[in-house]
Amino acid sequence: MRLFKKTNIDFIGKRFFWYIVSTIMVLIGLVSIVFKGINYGIDFQGGTEMIVAFSPNVDVGNVRIVLDKVGLGKSEIKSYGKESTLLIRTSEQGEGTIIGTKIKNALTDGFPGNNITILREDKIGPKIGKELRTSALMAVLWALGAILVYIGLRFKFRYGLGATISIFHDVLTTFGFLSIMNGLIPGLNLEITQEVIAAFLTLIGVSVNDTVVIFDRIRENEKIFKTMPLGDLMNKSLNETLSRTIITSGTIFMVLVILLIFGGEVNRGFAFTMAFGIVTGTYSSIYVASAFVLDWTRYRNRKAAKTATA
Amino acid sequence: MRNQLTRIIITVCFVVLAVYFLWPTIQDYNYRKQLSKLSGQDSIAYAEKNHDDMLNAKLKRMKLGLDLQGGMRVVLEVDVIQLLDDMAKNKDDNFRAIIKEVRNETASNDFSIIPFFVKKFQDRSIRLSRYYGSMRDDDDKVTKTLEDESGKAVDRASEIVRNRIDQYGVSEPTIQKQGGRRVIVELPGVKDENEVRSLLQGTAMLEFRMLKDPQVSYKVMESIDKFLTGKLETDTISSSTASTEKGKEPAKRKDALTELTGGAAAVAETDTTKEAQFAREHPFFMYVKPDQRGSGEGYIAEKDKERVVRLLNRPEVQQIIPSDFEFLWSAKVQTFQNGQKFYLLYAVKKTSELTGNVVTNAQASVDPEDNRPIVNMEMNSEGARDWARITGANIGKRVAIIMDKGIFSAPVVQAKITGGRSRITGMDSPNEARLLEIVLKAGALPAPVSIIEQRSIGPSLGEDSIHAGLTAIFISFILIVLFMVVYYHSAGAVADFALFFNILFILGVMASFGATLTLPGIAGIVLTIGMAVDANVLVDERVREELETGKTLRAAIDTGYHRAFTAIFDGHVTSFLTGIVLYQFGSSGVQGFALTLMIGLVANLFSAIVITHVIMNIMMDKGYHPKFG
Repeated sequence: MRLFKKTNIDFIGKRFFWYIVSTIMVLIGLVSIVFKGINYGIDFQGGTEMIVAFSPNVDVGNVRIVLDKVGLGKSEIKSYGKESTLLIRTSEQGEGTIIGTKIKNALTDGFPGNNITILREDKIGPKIGKELRTSALMAVLWALGAILVYIGLRFKFRYGLGATISIFHDVLTTFGFLSIMNGLIPGLNLEITQEVIAAFLTLIGVSVNDTVVIFDRIRENEKIFKTMPLGDLMNKSLNETLSRTIITSGTIFMVLVILLIFGGEVNRGFAFTMAFGIVTGTYSSIYVASAFVLDWTRYRNRKAAKTATA
Repeated sequence: MRNQLTRIIITVCFVVLAVYFLWPTIQDYNYRKQLSKLSGQDSIAYAEKNHDDMLNAKLKRMKLGLDLQGGMRVVLEVDVIQLLDDMAKNKDDNFRAIIKEVRNETASNDFSIIPFFVKKFQDRSIRLSRYYGSMRDDDDKVTKTLEDESGKAVDRASEIVRNRIDQYGVSEPTIQKQGGRRVIVELPGVKDENEVRSLLQGTAMLEFRMLKDPQVSYKVMESIDKFLTGKLETDTISSSTASTEKGKEPAKRKDALTELTGGAAAVAETDTTKEAQFAREHPFFMYVKPDQRGSGEGYIAEKDKERVVRLLNRPEVQQIIPSDFEFLWSAKVQTFQNGQKFYLLYAVKKTSELTGNVVTNAQASVDPEDNRPIVNMEMNSEGARDWARITGANIGKRVAIIMDKGIFSAPVVQAKITGGRSRITGMDSPNEARLLEIVLKAGALPAPVSIIEQRSIGPSLGEDSIHAGLTAIFISFILIVLFMVVYYHSAGAVADFALFFNILFILGVMASFGATLTLPGIAGIVLTIGMAVDANVLVDERVREELETGKTLRAAIDTGYHRAFTAIFDGHVTSFLTGIVLYQFGSSGVQGFALTLMIGLVANLFSAIVITHVIMNIMMDKGYHPKFG
């Protein structure tokens, strides 16, 4: 079976249109990050978080009333996966697990006769959250650095730069997308948790892998077609690898959709983030990474020509 | 062709190794399945028959993370400010004000505390030696001592916690130090938070107690043995269910039951070997070997400890034990020269002679005369007075050093010790001496800790997660396998075959590392499946292209593999680099993900490039031409 016959699409020629699209995407994301904000999970915020199963179901409003009585009315309360299961979170800090005990007691007193099960309880001190934020940021920066160096060595420096910029683009758009989508889909919690950070780093890995495959083909074709202009060379390479790009991205996308549907509540944020990331990662290999290398090369060539004539 | 043979041999070796490492996990699964089918007496008999094998499989199986099996994770941090406060002498208002200031100002930032603390004193030009060390010490020296002590406090805290958890009896706990100030404790299957909290915080109880006379303790052991003869089989169940409740939850009940019912009791009647007869006649001495030199303690093999604890806890046995008598265990497992591991059971007096808060200092060092490790211990004047009386009255007898009911050492009193300075000898290694130093200091200088992170996951959420994760893996696997065959025909089938080995390798490597499978880890495996397909797609697409240029099948395959290699390799290396970064900076959950990802990437390179190529070559040698769709 074969989905793609030999294609001859002019990817590179349309790059200016996509530059504008990318810029708009990044800007919308940034606007949302600034104005709507990012929902940090308990790991990064610090505080106490509980996942509680009720039987029979209770109303979120009633839970809030009950918690208000112990001074925790400002807690975040939302459904977690099933309707019978609620996530309760407060950034309130107390010694040890005092806050958790307070919530538990308030619930058992407030809903007598209800069969309440604590599925999970997390208490994170204020310093831990800050440490995690720093280490997550460091992880992304180091990953970018490592990629810049490795691709710069294996190809040319400008390729490394192109790959790094495209990954930066992916991380930014995905971050913005999470900020936009948060709260729009009921039952889907899109907060920045450890798992979502893992998704970002995996997304970096997958996106760069995709870029490398295309660069590899450009490198190979450069040796064969020595006189072909870089733009045509890139188009040729992109068309040759198109079938692989779509099959691989499609397969990973499918795996992520399965993880999103069947992987359980805990893996959902991961799968959702990655699924969007795969789309932008595949796109950016063509219109950010390759396009950057092309325009950078042209710019350098023009500059070199100018100095030569001068 | 020789190259081909090497590749086949390597592949077979890897497969055998993977299966070898996974074998205990498979066995453990089978035992559980068998056990869940049986009930009552049958299950006890089954558990008894396979006790050692089951224990072995359980120890070596792949561990599941807390997120998958439920349990508690606690991060403790040594409260350095509290420690500085505890260590200081001649505290005045100035000192208290500084302590308060430091506490307020460091609450919301990450300054390291000791330099900050020292600076406060220097700002007010107060010499540190007013509060610490001796008058002549300059600030640098005091600072160094304080830094040292805060490092040691972490050791002490983790040792105290480890000791208590061992005494409490949680199966497979993890206790590790992190950085300079933290201790991470993971307790699978534990649910009672309050109990664990008090277990982890609170001051350690250090005490000195006299050992019972060896002959008396032997007699007591003998009467326990005599009493238990022939009485075991009927009560095993009731006594075990009574003690099952402690710290284990209902979901883990079956598991606990197998451990507990693996008792000394139900030796099969048909067994007529000498050992079985001995076990029937001496149910206690079967597991407790009294010291041959008559020093009074009993040796118990590591795997038998739980059985003996159970025997001793039986109410009837408790009645036999004299009222001023208590059996206590050695805190650490000891190792014989032949590598056998065992615990020691001591009979001690029920009342303590002296508690550890009289100990002012302890220092591990080396005897200058014979280079043996020793520990020097100092006591305050009040303690020294009692100590002189106790040692004077008990020359030639043994005194046990006990922390939280675990015996760390039981030296013989050589002479009456006046002046409060004692020297403890007879340690086998410098490590043993250091441990004793830590323990002795625990009484005088507590290691104040605070819980800065606590997570507990109920077992039902864990089960749901496993189920969801496995479902996701299973469905993706099936869909990918189908897709590859439909799209690439027999080449796709070969890739599928390699995918199967890939997963086998990942699990095998994880089992051999003793790595823990967590939920993010499962996500890593799912992702690896996706990446594995990519490598195969790259190769197969390339072979198709080469075929289109008119090459023969064999030439196209060889060139295809050759040309696709650089892309696959570079892609995998960059992903691997991000894996390393993740592992370095991530928290434990993310690390689990990074680990499976890295293992998966290496396994991918091998299975997608080596194994599939070998299979295709073999196919062609046999005259079968793989189709690429």
